[in-house]
Amino acid sequence: MIQAEILRPRWRTLLRNQSFIILIVIVSLSIVIDFFNPVFLSIGNIVTLLQQSSVTGIATLCMVLLMISGGLDFSIGSIISLACVTIAKLVAIHWNPALAALVGVGLATLCGFLNGLIVAKSRCPPIIITLGMLYVYYGIALNIAQGQFMNLFGTFDALGNTRIAYIPFAILAWIVLVAAVYVLLTFTRYGRRLFSIGGNEEAAFLAGIDVDLHKITAYTLNGFVSGLAAIVLISRLGSVISNVGADYALRALSAAVIGGVSFEGGRGSVGGAVLGVILLGIVYNAMNILGVTAYFQNIVLGVIVVGAVVFSNIGKIRR
Amino acid sequence: MFSVSSGGGLLIEVIGLSKSFLGVRALHDVSFSLRGGELHCIIGENGAGKSTFIKVISGALTPDGGEIKIDGKRFSVLTPHLAQRLGIAAIYQENILVPQLSVAENIYMGREYRTRFGFFSYRDTFRHAKDVLDSFHLPFHPAQRVADLAPADKQLLKIVKAIESNPRVLIMDEPTATIDVEGIDRVLELVKSIKAKGIGIIYISHHLEEILEIADRITVLKDGQIAGRHDRASEEVTMDLLAQEMIGRPLDKFYTRQHAGIGKVVLSVSGLRLAESAEPVSFDLHEGEILGIAGMAGSGRSEIVRALYGADPRKSGKIVFRGREVPPGSPGESIRSGIGLLTEDRKTSGLCMNRSVRENISILGLDRFSKVFMRLRKEVQLVAASVSSLDIKTPSLNQEVRFLSGGNQQKVVMAKWLFREVDVLIFDEPTVGIDVNTKTEIYRLMAAYVSRGKSIIMVSSEMPELISMSDRVLVIRRGAVSAILEGPDITERNILNSSMGGRQ
Repeated sequence: MIQAEILRPRWRTLLRNQSFIILIVIVSLSIVIDFFNPVFLSIGNIVTLLQQSSVTGIATLCMVLLMISGGLDFSIGSIISLACVTIAKLVAIHWNPALAALVGVGLATLCGFLNGLIVAKSRCPPIIITLGMLYVYYGIALNIAQGQFMNLFGTFDALGNTRIAYIPFAILAWIVLVAAVYVLLTFTRYGRRLFSIGGNEEAAFLAGIDVDLHKITAYTLNGFVSGLAAIVLISRLGSVISNVGADYALRALSAAVIGGVSFEGGRGSVGGAVLGVILLGIVYNAMNILGVTAYFQNIVLGVIVVGAVVFSNIGKIRR
Repeated sequence: MFSVSSGGGLLIEVIGLSKSFLGVRALHDVSFSLRGGELHCIIGENGAGKSTFIKVISGALTPDGGEIKIDGKRFSVLTPHLAQRLGIAAIYQENILVPQLSVAENIYMGREYRTRFGFFSYRDTFRHAKDVLDSFHLPFHPAQRVADLAPADKQLLKIVKAIESNPRVLIMDEPTATIDVEGIDRVLELVKSIKAKGIGIIYISHHLEEILEIADRITVLKDGQIAGRHDRASEEVTMDLLAQEMIGRPLDKFYTRQHAGIGKVVLSVSGLRLAESAEPVSFDLHEGEILGIAGMAGSGRSEIVRALYGADPRKSGKIVFRGREVPPGSPGESIRSGIGLLTEDRKTSGLCMNRSVRENISILGLDRFSKVFMRLRKEVQLVAASVSSLDIKTPSLNQEVRFLSGGNQQKVVMAKWLFREVDVLIFDEPTVGIDVNTKTEIYRLMAAYVSRGKSIIMVSSEMPELISMSDRVLVIRRGAVSAILEGPDITERNILNSSMGGRQ
């Protein structure tokens, strides 16, 4: 049995690789959709698609970092919302937009740190802790926004309209962060230790790794990146409301799972997560182009998530 | 329901039982019998076949040969369910109690009393629980939460729970292993009163005094075969005699280590206590020494080395390594000082099973190939060198370790520690679950390691391993050092006597 596993031909190993499958799905889906509607593969549509996916994409990077170390954060949607309304509030009282953005990111980082501190020190399941913190941060955001739309007075339009080599700011920010997280996970000792903690926390502890410290920094980093996601989001909006980021936690989780990031920790890649986000983006975009109603879109999304998880678990069912 | 006749006849009769695992003989030609109201003890060293035997009797394993008669009726295949219906109940060491529920609910779990509308009846359940607790004079209340019970009381409850399924045969696997001296007497009292009810008991224990206190008959197993049979009604049985039979065969010297003589003290442990009430443990470790730590399973050997390493907290005690005190409480400190621990269970605490061979080996020595960033090419070179020097068989450095054999996994664990160059390695069961050839390789690696002036502490249950590898052997019994054996005194008999409480 073990021998068979080792000697399995390469192409079959490739077919068990979730990222590779997602890539095939993305390519074939694109070709099929383009056949029905040739607009789909136009440069304009592709840029729009990536731009629309960028905030989810950045939020997914946070999720990947955490899930690899065996953690999870449901509250990133609320953290994004809180950062957005804080920035809007400061802009409304005539703060310098750059300074306001800095405070927003700082606040998001603090939220992440708090999550990490509680999860690491209490040893409680992160799913419950961050679910609770989701309400805490959302409540604070509600208090700041007072249920109103908060006008940004166009202060971030210039940032949002910035393009380098035709690539809009949102996509650039995504690309830069993808590269940064990839380097962090692949080329730093810190990243390697996160994999180790997610793979076997007891073994990591016995190998002298300060597990609590690594968890806290991972959550803090997660808060920081959520803050950056908030800025990218704000650069594309004219006004914000207290639940502006609410969807992103579940979308990021879905994208990460589709991209093969394991719920049990220790397994996952930045590339897979990017592909997961793009697949989700394509499905949304295609359903819009093909005129699928919003009600139906949710069903399709759910089926894809369940399908991806079931697929990634197939290897474990046979013992 | 099978009809079973009671009376003084044989409840269980086993003739010529055999069982092998992958060609390794676990039981060979074992015959055994049990009457009602009798307590039949099975003793033997770790790995003698005791657990295999009771698993066969309780239907958890299918024998390769031999026959099992229960109440004179022959069974070729026994399943756990069938064994239960025939009235055979087993109490294993694992916890089967639900700590959140009450004593009464635990006793009748799966056999709940119901009201006439089919709902769970608290009244009947608690009333019956109270009756049975009273009848055994047990001091706890049916409504008490199991989580609040002392360890000894939990053990008593497990026994009561088994009794309430009305078994005719009760199998007990080391019921006193995890409890203190005072608790042991209470468990033994309970066992005696169960015996008085006419139930046949198969009792496995490592403690010879305990066995001599309660056993009617004793069967000694050695390497899966019967090494002795005693009926206390007709003969005088001594601890010496039992220990003699457990040793039996001459020691097979599968690996002989060249003892090079040991140097000065490198690590000194004094007054180490894991609990306030525990006896303090003290010992020294020398340069170039392999210090064996022997003791029966559950004697507290692993706990001592885990506390020494800082994996578990210690109540008190001083650990001095090369003249410097090692601060308590964190593996990180121990590793920085130069001490490493290879745990007994590779899967749960040694390796990241879903990560690659490369990542598992390099995790302790990331600094060797990193400045700001890790240089992965250098990592591959370094890991490849260590894989080939330890002769780890893997198709690729990126192979996930869960696909390797047990022996190769253990070599990966060793490679991981050698990658870091620590001065003291603590091995907990270095060769458990490993084939003979790889075992020899691991012994060779251990010998090579200490020949460079490094030191090893080796916790082991395998007599040949302890005897042929160790310069000295520390014997642990009930959490305390019961003997330190040296040179020619390191014999199977001495180790066994010290770990089971017999005379020297």
